[in-house]
Amino acid sequence: MNFQTLMDVIGWPLIKIVILLVPVFTVVAYLVWFERRVLAFFQSRLGPNRVGPLGLLQPVADGLKLLLKEDIVPTNARPFLFKIAPIFVMTPAIAGFAVISWALPWVTPAGNTHGFVVADVDLGILLILALSSLGIFGIILGGWASGSKYPLMGSLRSASQMLAYEIPLTLSILTVILLAGSFRLSDIVAAQQNLGWYFLFPGLIAFGVYLVSAVAESNRTPFDLPEGESEIIGFHTEYSGMRFAFYFVGEYANVVLISVVAASLFMGGYDIPFVKDAALYAAHPNLASVLGVLSFAVKGALFAYFFIWIRATWPRYRYDQLLRVGWVVLLPIALGNLMLVALLKLWLLR
Amino acid sequence: MAAEHTGEAFTSPLREVMETKTYELNMGPQHPATHGVYRAILQLDGERVVSMESVLGYLHRGIEKWAEYRTWTQATPIFDRLDYVGAVLNCHGYVGAVEKLLNLEVPKKAQYIRVVLDELQRIANHLLWLGTHALDVGAQSMLFYGIREREAILDLFEAMLGQRLLQNAYPIGGVRFDFPKGWVPVCYRLLEELPKKIDDYETLLTGNRIWVQRTKGVGVISAKDATALSLSGPTLRGSGVNFDVRKAMPYSSYEDFDFEVPLGQNGDVFDRYMCRIREMRQSVRIIRQALDGMPAEGELKGKVGRIIRPPAGEAYYTVEAAKGQLGYYIVSDGAEKPYRLHIKSPSFVNLQGIETMCRGGLIADVVANIGSLDIVLGEVDR
Repeated sequence: MNFQTLMDVIGWPLIKIVILLVPVFTVVAYLVWFERRVLAFFQSRLGPNRVGPLGLLQPVADGLKLLLKEDIVPTNARPFLFKIAPIFVMTPAIAGFAVISWALPWVTPAGNTHGFVVADVDLGILLILALSSLGIFGIILGGWASGSKYPLMGSLRSASQMLAYEIPLTLSILTVILLAGSFRLSDIVAAQQNLGWYFLFPGLIAFGVYLVSAVAESNRTPFDLPEGESEIIGFHTEYSGMRFAFYFVGEYANVVLISVVAASLFMGGYDIPFVKDAALYAAHPNLASVLGVLSFAVKGALFAYFFIWIRATWPRYRYDQLLRVGWVVLLPIALGNLMLVALLKLWLLR
Repeated sequence: MAAEHTGEAFTSPLREVMETKTYELNMGPQHPATHGVYRAILQLDGERVVSMESVLGYLHRGIEKWAEYRTWTQATPIFDRLDYVGAVLNCHGYVGAVEKLLNLEVPKKAQYIRVVLDELQRIANHLLWLGTHALDVGAQSMLFYGIREREAILDLFEAMLGQRLLQNAYPIGGVRFDFPKGWVPVCYRLLEELPKKIDDYETLLTGNRIWVQRTKGVGVISAKDATALSLSGPTLRGSGVNFDVRKAMPYSSYEDFDFEVPLGQNGDVFDRYMCRIREMRQSVRIIRQALDGMPAEGELKGKVGRIIRPPAGEAYYTVEAAKGQLGYYIVSDGAEKPYRLHIKSPSFVNLQGIETMCRGGLIADVVANIGSLDIVLGEVDR
């Protein structure tokens, strides 16, 4: 095995992972800041503005505080499970970013290309779905291992919620996959570029279903029942310090993930609007890549903003209503839409 | 269909072969949605409430006994601490009772000023209630909007009475001050703005599908049950019983004003919510009439001596406080201190309806119900 192969197999992926993780963690930390500022803007108050300019150092201060806090394991808890449960939430959420294709490949002066993706696997989107379902184990384990009733209720709610919304989510993504003809995220973006417009329009219903189920998947308002702060306080009631922070980071990483996945699937990902990407890439490949990442970031931020907007506006569903929405409303819509798109595709292909 | 709430649990065929048990859940006294130190012991079947028991007394301060060791005048400020978000109304109830025992006529102008302050306090109370209730149901922005407008009212209190929350608003016999210079125009401007703001709240909540689903058909209490439990205030009127102390037994010149008593039909959380929202609009109407009809000249205080010694006897006086009918029962033995004093606090009485409302509902409904009762634990435990 020569150096080149070693580099290709281990070296470059590791470098890419580091290059990816730093911005992902930064974005997750600043999403919290962004959310608090935006919520404050909605609620006619200021939000965090004391630590650093515009409160920009607030995430650092929060992180430090959580690091330095005592790590409490309640008497009734099952210590081993209690300690590892938060990792089960954070790891899958972070791992999902590996398959996201951030831009067209970077071209080095020597003519080599390096894709803006850690692992451009051909079942990328399925991997994300699988990982996001794994996250639920962390919540169930945490709730169960806490040895307390409130967290247990939170985790049970979470389990049934996840079941109810996983299916519409998958069906809505399947619609896009039908349209694109591939599970690979870079292919899906390429298909949208070839089509000339984003899947948002042919897949409008799927887009709606995706948005609703994605909010439910990431346990945010109006589907934040597993937390249900004013009712059952949440599955992480007994957690403190860094273990709590793991849940928190996991949740926000999920928000970032569903935002960028939505941007990839429905808004053309790193496609730059109103510009002929292929021509630009042929002329200035690296400029096109950088602009692509920026365009992607803006689209993702729009979705993140949308999720915060919902949180500022809506009350919370009740347990039974939430399940009814999932099984009785979203599932038939998603199924019907999938069949409709499949028929359309058949008809258009002929 | 979605808004229906049947109160019946889904019974799985497995239930016949598998044994299930109810379990006990302690909600409070430290819980974000119990509005203070209220504690409920819930018997739950899954998330469904089988039975519920209230445990009170965590905030008992012995206010009634305390008052017996103070002179009639000295006792006044403590009653602000009953319902600390509706302090003016508490004060009105107490001074009204003493005035009744003294058989004292309060000057017309003082009565009108009392009406203005009372109704402002009612709006302030309802705004805070709206915010916290919406927060319990999960809509967090409402809290800040409610507090924003309440702030303007508290500023008015501060300008006139020197205090924002616990104002010790009225002395026995009348009011302390006339409106300060420039106060009335500011108040008028607030009255202009408030209905628009209330429209905004309604846009945010009344028309919201989730809000309606969470509140309609939830926590139903029939007019019969509500009367039997002697509930009062918006909690009673939400069930469609037309009883408002301001109309039924007018005090402080309420008979001079033209206003409606908003009524609900179903007695659910939504109706109680609508009652309070519409009550705020009516309060705006009353304040406007009181300010328009305010006598230009007149005494601010009836004839009371420096040391008050009501004749031996007893008196019961009720006002329509923000939460319901607030009654003071006082007994005098002719001395300068109350011989006995008892408070019928609306929060305590209304809380008796909670079990009827919650049984058969879900945990989330318990929270919505507690919010819709608008209890303040300072008043429940006294």
